[in-house]
Amino acid sequence: MSAGLLCSGLEEKHMRRKHPARLLIIFLPLICLAIAPPARQAQNAEASDAFGKTIRPFLESNCTVCHNAGLKSGGLNLEAYTSVASITQDRDRWEKVLHKLRTGEMPPKEMPRPDKTEVEAVTRCIESELARADQFARPDPGRVTARRLNRNEYNNTVRDLLGVALQPADDFPQDDSGYGFDNIGDVLSLSPVLMEKYLAAAEKVARTAVFGADLLKPTLARPKGSGQKIIPRTTPLFDYDASGLSLPNAIHVTHRFPVDGEYNLRILFGGTRPAGSEPLEICLWIDGQQAKVIQFNPDGVASFAVDRQEFWGMAQDFRTSITAGDHWLAASILKLYEGLPPDYHGPNPSKRPKPMLPEFKPPPNLPPERIAEIKKAFDARRAEIVPANDARISAIEVGGPYNQAKGPSLASLKKIYTCGHLDGHHRAGCARQIVVDLAHRAYRRPVTPAEVAQLVSLITMARRHGDSLEEGLVLAIEAMLVSPHFLFRIERGLPATKTEAGPITAADTARPLSAHELAARLSYFLWSSMPDDELLGCADQGRLKQPEVLAAQVERMLKDSRSRALVENFGGQWLELRKLESAKPDKGRFPSFDDYLLMSMRRETELFFENLVRQDLSILDFVDGNYTFLNERLAQLYKIPGVSGPEFRKVDLTGSERGGVLTQASVLTVSSYATRTSPVLRGKWILENFLNAPPPPPPPDVPNLDEAKIGQSASLREQLEQHRKNTTCASCHARMDPLGFGLENFDAIGAWRTQDGKFPIDASGTLPDGRSFKGPQELRTILKADRAAFAEGLTEKLLIYALGRGLEGSDRPTVKKITNRLAAENYRFSTLVLEIVKSLPFQMQRRD
Amino acid sequence: MMITKKHLPRRTFLKGMGTMIALPMLDAMTPALAASRQAQATAPVRLAFVYVPNGIVMKDWTPKAAGREFEFTRILKPLEAFREDLFVLSGLDDHNGNALGDGAGDHARAGAAILTGVHCKKTAGADIQNGISVDQIAASAVGSKSRFPSIELGCEDSRTVGNCDSGYSCAYTNSVSWRSPTTPMPPEVNPRQAFERLFGTADYSLDAPTRARRAEYRKSILDMVRDDTEKLNRSLGQADRRKIDEYLYAVREIEKRIESAEKDDREVKPTMEKPAGIPMTFPEYAKLMFDLQVVAFQTDLTRVTTLMIGREGSMRVYPEIEVPDPHHPLTHHRNNPEWIERVTKINCLHAEVFAYFLEKLKATKEAGGTLLDHSMVVYVSGLSDGNRHSHEDLPVLLAGRGDGRLKPGRHIVYKKGTPMTNLYLTLLDRMGVQPERLGDSTGKLEHLTEL
Repeated sequence: MSAGLLCSGLEEKHMRRKHPARLLIIFLPLICLAIAPPARQAQNAEASDAFGKTIRPFLESNCTVCHNAGLKSGGLNLEAYTSVASITQDRDRWEKVLHKLRTGEMPPKEMPRPDKTEVEAVTRCIESELARADQFARPDPGRVTARRLNRNEYNNTVRDLLGVALQPADDFPQDDSGYGFDNIGDVLSLSPVLMEKYLAAAEKVARTAVFGADLLKPTLARPKGSGQKIIPRTTPLFDYDASGLSLPNAIHVTHRFPVDGEYNLRILFGGTRPAGSEPLEICLWIDGQQAKVIQFNPDGVASFAVDRQEFWGMAQDFRTSITAGDHWLAASILKLYEGLPPDYHGPNPSKRPKPMLPEFKPPPNLPPERIAEIKKAFDARRAEIVPANDARISAIEVGGPYNQAKGPSLASLKKIYTCGHLDGHHRAGCARQIVVDLAHRAYRRPVTPAEVAQLVSLITMARRHGDSLEEGLVLAIEAMLVSPHFLFRIERGLPATKTEAGPITAADTARPLSAHELAARLSYFLWSSMPDDELLGCADQGRLKQPEVLAAQVERMLKDSRSRALVENFGGQWLELRKLESAKPDKGRFPSFDDYLLMSMRRETELFFENLVRQDLSILDFVDGNYTFLNERLAQLYKIPGVSGPEFRKVDLTGSERGGVLTQASVLTVSSYATRTSPVLRGKWILENFLNAPPPPPPPDVPNLDEAKIGQSASLREQLEQHRKNTTCASCHARMDPLGFGLENFDAIGAWRTQDGKFPIDASGTLPDGRSFKGPQELRTILKADRAAFAEGLTEKLLIYALGRGLEGSDRPTVKKITNRLAAENYRFSTLVLEIVKSLPFQMQRRD
Repeated sequence: MMITKKHLPRRTFLKGMGTMIALPMLDAMTPALAASRQAQATAPVRLAFVYVPNGIVMKDWTPKAAGREFEFTRILKPLEAFREDLFVLSGLDDHNGNALGDGAGDHARAGAAILTGVHCKKTAGADIQNGISVDQIAASAVGSKSRFPSIELGCEDSRTVGNCDSGYSCAYTNSVSWRSPTTPMPPEVNPRQAFERLFGTADYSLDAPTRARRAEYRKSILDMVRDDTEKLNRSLGQADRRKIDEYLYAVREIEKRIESAEKDDREVKPTMEKPAGIPMTFPEYAKLMFDLQVVAFQTDLTRVTTLMIGREGSMRVYPEIEVPDPHHPLTHHRNNPEWIERVTKINCLHAEVFAYFLEKLKATKEAGGTLLDHSMVVYVSGLSDGNRHSHEDLPVLLAGRGDGRLKPGRHIVYKKGTPMTNLYLTLLDRMGVQPERLGDSTGKLEHLTEL
């Protein structure tokens, strides 16, 4: 029956008529089941020329020595495959086999290597068989399980639905992730605890939208922020960051402000300064902008010391208006090295008179030897030189809100009262219209008369109890916000359109999504939020499925500021930027690491990604774009001169060692341990995120690296080479480790280095396929040469995120098609997005 | 109690415990006890400790006269309204706060020893060793009679870990309450969280009818979405149905919970508003923490509390009373009269907020008198003169009548060297607990029950 499955493809047409693929689908599983006794294997194998002529001989002379029924090395028994059909049936596994053959990972180094042409012949043969199977297979869009809104989506949706920026989902339990993302329908569950939170949030959101935020009592909070270690110096600097922001004396925190209002920011001080210094100049920064500058004079305030200015426990208040939401607060000491006593020889020295220091007064009633001891301690302290740079900000406290804005926001009023006046004189006759419009947007589709009647009945109930129209509206909104039609995206597709005899199309197995379901897929893909009025309008008018309308919408949505959600949520997970929040580089080894650097790292990569989206650049820039976005703090780490101030700007990297996200501090930090770099982790990062080819987890009995030795008695490279002597380890590490070694010149927080402990850095590597490189630039060149592999990896990742499900073998043709288009369109980001949107799995849903 | 493999000699063990609890009650004793409990069943005895850090300016604290005709000094002035409700106790020492060969670290030792009477082990690491504190002895004896054996509150965030005072662990300066020699009871400093621990997260800010109406509305909404979803579910494929089933299960669970809550009328309702968070100024903050204690006593959720006005060695600034200086360095005033004046202002402010507590307790009527009548409230600092780190002649107040046998309204001056822990033995006796010893105690404190 499988005579048609030849590599030559000559008989293709003929076969298709004779053996419709529908039958093929039914028979194929039988073949797999029938395998087992060796006698039968031979018989089955004869069925395919391709198998017999090309594949089997290759396997027998190169693979089945280890991968046989007895040994099953790596859990793989290649003897079990006896025909082309058995291969195409087990497609995922064979894609991996192909991958190992192509990259030269298999056969392993110690074994005799087949000729390059032999490998090419067999991989080409298997590839073309797989491609042929795709042509015959029924197009299958896959099945996406109803997706519950995750926390980000919930926050964004209530913001866009009702103009409420409360971020209520911050209180919800953490969402689970699958396939690397937290928007996977199958994985997102709903517990009674979460339902309770939904109820509470619905009430809070609805009341805020209709009546305005509750008046909050001012409270005090101390957001966490960790500073750098200050390395004391007695000689002032002349060339340094006079804004103080990037010095360890500053503090940086992120705080979520609940409402618009005035807040009291209390700066707490610490450290010491030489006696006779000028008052400190303190600057408060909000989101990188100078908000206030004041002079702080410690004189006259109690402290333990008399021979120096001591700041521990002292505080200074600032009062200022701040909008609701997350803000980056910082406090720094301006011109740290100015105003020191003249004998420090620093810039712009103090004009204050040198203070009289107390003389030693022997305490009464003590024996002379004790007095001598005390005098010695006194003299020693007197001889100490107070550091020039020890004064610091130790914490920021946030108190408030004061003068909170009252009543509903204009944004909320506009979103709710589509009928009736905005000024509070609402007409009861409008209730129905308001409900229809709101539910239409909340459910992201037209609503049925029965649904409207139910919601209106809640308003009627409230009024019957003597409550106002507004109270009734609150109830109706609450009901919408806890409805499964709001909380889930349930897709039922359009009724199937039966096709007549002829080639099998998706229409036989799948339903196209409705225009509204498509609109919601689009908006949650690109914005992590609901469709806006324009997108919903296109769906209402039934125009969204017109190719030019769809393309125009995608273009508009990518340009819209809401597409930052794609950068934050997709980028945050794909590039693992979210892990930065829990990154804790060792303070001892990386004293310069602080929260400001952490924020700057994340911002750099986000801006890089955002710029790529907005400017519609090539996705290959992720690999080696020769520009990035830096502020002074990060430029300091990168040792790039000429960047001053807290604001980010585009910086040309031509000629530098850096380029692409792999050399950005964010990625280099999340792929390191707290105390050291890890070529293994970095190699794994590249395989997993750039190539979507994660290595399998290590076997359970592998010994750990001896951390204490690294940089002392053996270099990391030597240690890892030791590790690779184990052949089980070697098969994966031969591919992982060299990639990571290419980045060894970057330490665990992304700074450039040429030494690791006592050992010079060797950033060279040889890949299993024989290509070798030296240093990060050459590594990037190799990765860029493999652009098809990178494009495929990114396509798969973005497709998972767009669909909210893991990929299956049946998605392979879709991925291939998209990557082909990408190659033809200069790898433009918008091509990737538009091709995903136009693809079968995005447009359709498999029938159950 | 931690179980270690190392064998401890019995004496060491007892020393570490700081106390020896009397034999457990025998069955034969219970009828008598039951009878006495019935008599006071309506008003249990409450025990509260209020701790202030960094000592007090003693010249403005200690009354010159002893007995009933003592004068309210400058710092005690805010408490004058409670002349008949409190004792001023002078001459009590906390000897184990002294160095005893351990060198610097008086603040850590003061905090650790004040309620335990034990000289804590000098360590900044995990091997902390102190004694069991008086409140925890009371809690283990009467705790089963209320929902919470004890509650521990504080008005200052303890953010530091590791070494807090000259090589002493922060545990010693952050907690005066110790459940075992190795287990400090860190105070809850967020009033909102303290409230939610006591009363749960329900919204009591609405009046009862509104709350009932909203509950009705919520039931209607749940009804509606459940109906709707059941209909929807029938038309879905398998995977989607599983998700929607999860949703339905969650909705039904909540409906069940609402139902059982409606049937349960034993719910304890607080008589205060739920705090939003930490208030902006110190007086508001301290008063709110006192409110929580009053409510916890009033609802009989607990009978034993400790409140730390500040951690020992506190660096709090008091801009509310124009003291911009951190408290601790200010107390090392080097006899600068301006600084002494500012310390005194802080001491007065603390007495004022304490007066608020007593006022609240006194204003809360319950069977047989007021809440204050049935309480024993100790106000104490682990140091007397903060400048010199003295652990002798501590500033101590005792307010309330306990089981009715305390006879306040007097300034009692004890002879030099009387351990502070003797007072605790007397108080525990009033709670019906008779440990033989507590830390360095030498016997019960006299003169409290007779005039």
